[in-house]
Amino acid sequence: MLILTRKLGESITIGDDIKITFLEAKGKQVRIGIEAPPHIAVHREEIYKLIREQNIQAANVDSIVKDTLPDILEGLKNLLLKDQQEL
Amino acid sequence: MKVVTARFGEIDVDESKIIDMRGGIIGFEHLKKFVLHMQDEKNPFWWFQSLDDGKVAFVVINPFIAKADYEPVIDDNNTKLLEIENAEHVVLLAIVTILQNPFSVSINLRAPIVVNAEKKIAKQVILEDQMHPVQYYLTATGSDDEASMAVD
Repeated sequence: MLILTRKLGESITIGDDIKITFLEAKGKQVRIGIEAPPHIAVHREEIYKLIREQNIQAANVDSIVKDTLPDILEGLKNLLLKDQQEL
Repeated sequence: MKVVTARFGEIDVDESKIIDMRGGIIGFEHLKKFVLHMQDEKNPFWWFQSLDDGKVAFVVINPFIAKADYEPVIDDNNTKLLEIENAEHVVLLAIVTILQNPFSVSINLRAPIVVNAEKKIAKQVILEDQMHPVQYYLTATGSDDEASMAVD
């Protein structure tokens, strides 16, 4: 890992179009600003990992619920549509 | 175009309905082409079927059916990336996760699949607002019987 020391207000650039600026440091927290083109996804690592795991579980639905899935979806459908009618 | 899927066998896909993923589904970024498959118009659960890998399909739902006051804000970067010019062309899909032991069904309101239905491009967008839960439960957690709407 490349390690650099920067002062507040200073930046680093990655490639031609990504810029990270160090805005504020308070105790153990730092605030950084990130400028990147729209196709570069920037996320907090923990939320990215959580969503990734959730997606993997979601894609694995068949092995989790086996052949009861049609019944489960039918039950949920009735539940959701019933709630809508009550609105 | 014919595609062999694990769930539906061979399906005939209308090429005009193929959705091109920009950035993809997190953890499945290598899958670029999907199609929204509905078995029955009355059923709110649809399938977001990968065309690159017939084994991968997500159960999805219109999140507003599950949570009428859902108010996701799509940031400018993603609006540009998805070439959204008219909000009426946006279709949102929440990915459904079903678990056993204990049984639970949740939908991901933090990271909906945002579809530009006019241009057939989509991306799973992580919303900035941390109030939207990754697991919004449609069932009371732990119940394996008649499900009830739980407050997240």
